[in-house]
Amino acid sequence: MVLRLSLQRCLVHPVSALRRHMILTRPASTTPHSTPPGLLRYSPWSKEFLGSLKTRIFLQSAFYAVGIVTAAGLVDSYLFASRTELEEPVLHYASPQGTKLAIEELRATFPRANAVDTDADTLRTYGFSENSYHPASPHSVVVRPTCTSDVVKIVNISRKYRIPITPYSGATSLEGHTSGYPSGSICLDMSGMDQILQINEADSDLVCQSGARWEDINATLKEKGIPLFFPLDPGPGATIGGMIGTGCSGTNAVRYGTARAEWFLNLTAVLPNGEVIKTRRRARKSAAGFDTTKLFIGAEGTLGIVTEVTLRLTPVIPTKVAMAQFPDVEHAVSAVQEILNTPYGPHIQCVELLDDHMMEAINTAGLVDHPYPVEDTLFFKIQGDPTSIKSTSKAVQDIVKKHGSSRFEFASTDQEAEDLWQNRKYALMSTMAANPGTRCWTTDVCVPVSRLPQLVFETKKDLADSGIQSTIVGHVGDGNFHALILFRDDSELQGVSDAVHRLVHRAVALEGTCTGEHGVGVGKKEYLTDELGEGTVELMRVIKRAIDPLNLMNPGKLYPERRKPKAEEFNRPSA
Amino acid sequence: MNSLFKAWGQHGHRQIYLHSGRHLLTPRSLLVHSGIARRLHSSPSLGEHDVQSRAGANNTSGISSSHILLLATSILSGIVGFAVASGLESSTSVKGGSSQDQQFGTPGDFKQAIEELRQAFPSSDAVSTDPEDLRTHGFSDYDYRPGRLHSVVFYPASTEDVVRMVKIATKYKMPVIPYSGATSLEGHIRSHAVGGICVDISGMDRILEIHGIPLFFPLDPAPGATIGGMLSTGCSGTNAVRYGTAKAEWFLNATVVLPSGEVIKTRRRSRKSSAGFDTTKLFIGAEGTLGIVTEVTIRLAPLLPTTVAVVQFPDLRKATEAVIEVMNQGVGIQCVEAVDDVFMAATNKFGMSARKWPEKDSLFLKFQGPTQASIQETAKIVKKIVEKHGATGFELARNAKEADDLWADRKNANYSGMALLEGAKGWGTDVCVPVSKLPELVYETKKDLAQIGITSTIVGHVGDGNFHALLLFRNEKEYRIAKEAVHRMVHRAIALDGTCTGEHGVGVGKKKYLVEELGAGTVELMKTIKRAIDPLGLFNPGKLYPDDDETDNKPGV
Ligand SMILES: Cc1cc2nc3c(=O)[nH]c(=O)nc-3n(C[C@H](O)[C@H](O)[C@H](O)COP(=O)(O)OP(=O)(O)OC[C@H]3O[C@@H](n4cnc5c(N)ncnc54)[C@H](O)[C@@H]3O)c2cc1C
Ligand SMILES: Cc1cc2nc3c(=O)[nH]c(=O)nc-3n(C[C@H](O)[C@H](O)[C@H](O)COP(=O)(O)OP(=O)(O)OC[C@H]3O[C@@H](n4cnc5c(N)ncnc54)[C@H](O)[C@@H]3O)c2cc1C
Repeated sequence: MVLRLSLQRCLVHPVSALRRHMILTRPASTTPHSTPPGLLRYSPWSKEFLGSLKTRIFLQSAFYAVGIVTAAGLVDSYLFASRTELEEPVLHYASPQGTKLAIEELRATFPRANAVDTDADTLRTYGFSENSYHPASPHSVVVRPTCTSDVVKIVNISRKYRIPITPYSGATSLEGHTSGYPSGSICLDMSGMDQILQINEADSDLVCQSGARWEDINATLKEKGIPLFFPLDPGPGATIGGMIGTGCSGTNAVRYGTARAEWFLNLTAVLPNGEVIKTRRRARKSAAGFDTTKLFIGAEGTLGIVTEVTLRLTPVIPTKVAMAQFPDVEHAVSAVQEILNTPYGPHIQCVELLDDHMMEAINTAGLVDHPYPVEDTLFFKIQGDPTSIKSTSKAVQDIVKKHGSSRFEFASTDQEAEDLWQNRKYALMSTMAANPGTRCWTTDVCVPVSRLPQLVFETKKDLADSGIQSTIVGHVGDGNFHALILFRDDSELQGVSDAVHRLVHRAVALEGTCTGEHGVGVGKKEYLTDELGEGTVELMRVIKRAIDPLNLMNPGKLYPERRKPKAEEFNRPSA
Repeated sequence: MNSLFKAWGQHGHRQIYLHSGRHLLTPRSLLVHSGIARRLHSSPSLGEHDVQSRAGANNTSGISSSHILLLATSILSGIVGFAVASGLESSTSVKGGSSQDQQFGTPGDFKQAIEELRQAFPSSDAVSTDPEDLRTHGFSDYDYRPGRLHSVVFYPASTEDVVRMVKIATKYKMPVIPYSGATSLEGHIRSHAVGGICVDISGMDRILEIHGIPLFFPLDPAPGATIGGMLSTGCSGTNAVRYGTAKAEWFLNATVVLPSGEVIKTRRRSRKSSAGFDTTKLFIGAEGTLGIVTEVTIRLAPLLPTTVAVVQFPDLRKATEAVIEVMNQGVGIQCVEAVDDVFMAATNKFGMSARKWPEKDSLFLKFQGPTQASIQETAKIVKKIVEKHGATGFELARNAKEADDLWADRKNANYSGMALLEGAKGWGTDVCVPVSKLPELVYETKKDLAQIGITSTIVGHVGDGNFHALLLFRNEKEYRIAKEAVHRMVHRAIALDGTCTGEHGVGVGKKKYLVEELGAGTVELMKTIKRAIDPLGLFNPGKLYPDDDETDNKPGV
């Protein structure tokens, strides 16, 4: 209010003051005797002013200066205000012409073959994903950096021309994370930066570029005879950069936690302003303030590009795989809860739920020598030295029996154990293979473990009522489950989409989350405010804006569109 | 509102799930506006916006007039004035929380703030300016940095209380210093030079809901530490080698009162979620500079049978090598603590222990497993490995009582250490390096300390590469010598790819090492976030973020 008044004064006053100044200068000589009102003598615009001309000009200048400062401040704050009132900052992304120029500059900067790719098919393939059914666009260009300084150059070009950047790595994400931006975007293909740079066996850590695949890392360690591994295991083909991007987990999470635990000791990131930071050093723990590494975990490429990472590794421990059938999901889940809370809990490396439909799909897909029983089933991976495996197996067997399990059996050979696990890992593929000609929408929600039976029960009923075919697999130890929903054509898509919507709301209402591990991307944005509350989402936006004020990093993902702000929210804080 | 923390000391290792009763939020976006505004004016990395707004000032100068001189002068002075003004503004805000007096209210404002607090909380014990209260909150027995009185101590009973206090603090621009178990070691809870509101949250210690029972919470810093303080320092403890630290996944969500007065709950209760980057993590290790945590949901782990073993080594290098090999077996190790010969001598001298220890570098190990059989199995494997590395005198507790006694000798480190020198005080330090670098760090440090004649014991969470030296001093001169030795030790740790603090946090004491350790870019990112969330810089000012010119390359400054 005060500022507004002073603005009026500044805008009106200089003009009237100027006029007055001129009027007063003109008649001055003709009316020598008319004594001006006393006060006028103190106005620097008055001819009668007491001081010298210099003082007069000085005072007037000072006055205008104040006016200009205030006006400039106001212009500034109005510019700012208009920026936050809008859904996304007022940012003008490059025109097609600008994009063309940017691509030329990219080509000039990276003359090597294949580094800058505008092949129409490539742009389409990279812009759309086979794994999701959300709206997408092709990218304008695909660029393939080989080192951090390449990434800096690309980020700087993107900023110069105002073209969004979408980091792209293993491309196994499932919620449209890597889709193109409608007005054009640079797809930054990080998958070529896949070198393992350093293995510190004594420290159980490893330094690699962000395009390295988790499977390759573990294979390399095995090849070198190093008895360590990296326990995060998302989709086959996923890379460290993408795993950080989505904050992934996988079947091992029940024992080792997720990407949000302490597996990433530090990372090197290129920020939207082109600056390169390394978030930490290599010590296994540090209390040096809040950990900026964590900002990038789950940020889905919206806060910067991760180029190098130090991973913590963990010892490979002997395991044994077993399987138990249950009358229903509820019994299976209550067994898991009890097992995990006993002292044997820490020896459970994985516990996966596969429902009867999923078991049937595995049988039908012909992936097994002898068919599995078509019942709700738990797969266990038990770890430890032989004594612990033995005692844990005994305990597990007793507990599952108590919870109504009819069968409990071990994989008899390592090969069988491996196969069993592969069948679980490739659930999506088996589901598709068992139902040729269908497409599949993979969902992902997570609730407190005790709520899982209710969620699964209601979801199965809902799907059956809507006549939708699906299989269910779950990282049941964490309360995380996926329904793989099948459909044949676009006419069925709407029904599927609605069912997914209901599933997510059901999970959130049970104190759960719209995504246990796949991330938000485009697909889950609409649920975020519901789940986290407007305040938390706003905090995420505040951080996004502070780090990427031009909104160039993977725009359109993760942050939900703002609802229309209410009038009182335009008030700037008074302090 | 029914919220609160667990007072760690009181409840010992009971099993709990704290969980907030209600989801609260004030749908105002004060936060955004103020955050961005300050940033537009101050951030050098936003050059373009800065230029834009100044360009705006230039454009208004295009009026033509016969009084060119007048206009030119005024425009020039206008621009100069504007520049000076924005310069002033950025110099206050860039420091985001550093001690710039104009950033805060006047003593008169503070008086009024206290008055308003009293009106808002008329019950006699919520607002205290009792000198004794101010003294206990302003000074800490745990470090030797000069203490200072807070202006007032406020005892909230609920999240709403905190919100009302934050509004008053904001109105009068009064610093807010969250205070809880008061066991932090780097001057975290010191008052600011201008004064401030010390918010003592230790009364909010109720457990709201418990889900699950034969369980425990594995983070174990000092006795008396509280969940709020543990979250805010990013603590760990002896269990970290098995369970990780506060930065892992033990805090499922937090309810936080932001500097805007807004209340957020960072997550719901599911064990994992990929719903974007996790804002819970922002507050872990933020030392009260980004908001006040009022409720927390913590995750628990099953309670396992344990036992303890102690074993001696020819030196710490051999001990560390043994630990590396043991850890890579994947057997049930819950804790592995290294102590040096001086520590063992101190324990003998302290006289609380039932036994006389060989005065050699040693390891204290805590084994865990589902059954006694599996623990014995682990012990057998470990014994074989450590003996391969030259260990002697492997002693395994025969029963629970013996295990407790053995462990107590390690736990008494702080007290036994002091026993070495009559009338001495101790300075506990805290650095952490990659495990393989630990022997070098300890060796160099011991050599250094021997040269300058400072007595110290060494204990380390060796499985994590984290170690503490307790430096003893009896007078001002020895204190100064010790202080310089600590500087050298921190530089040594950072040079070994380590950190200036493994678990105690930054507070006032470690600020000056942050740029060296993390790089200017990372520190600037932290400040950017601080400015965006707390544009007025009222939350625990002077802690954590180094001042712009604050780096330390000269040991012993
Ligand atoms: C069959 C199948 C099974 C799966 N199972 C699991 C599972 O069990 N658990 C699980 O968590 N997920 C699972 N997923 C999902 C997927 O594997 C994970 O989300 C994985 O983390 C994505 O990694 P990516 O390398 O493919 O990333 P991409 O898809 O390439 O990218 C993912 C996100 O990260 C960003 N990004 C990529 N690289 C970088 C970088 N260098 N810097 C910054 N941002 C970057 C991208 O912009 C994008 O937003 C599965 C997927 C499939 C197809
Ligand atoms: C003998 C001894 C042994 C120790 N051993 C260990 C150890 O093994 N491992 C370890 O990690 N630490 C250890 N410490 C240090 C200390 O116990 C930890 O730093 C602990 O986490 C501090 O908790 P507190 O409740 O005492 O916090 P306080 O000292 O009250 O506060 C710590 C910081 O958190 C802020 N804060 C407090 N409450 C809140 C809140 N509700 N919201 C926002 N900010 C808040 C404060 O402003 C301050 O910056 C030890 C200390 C002592 C004295």
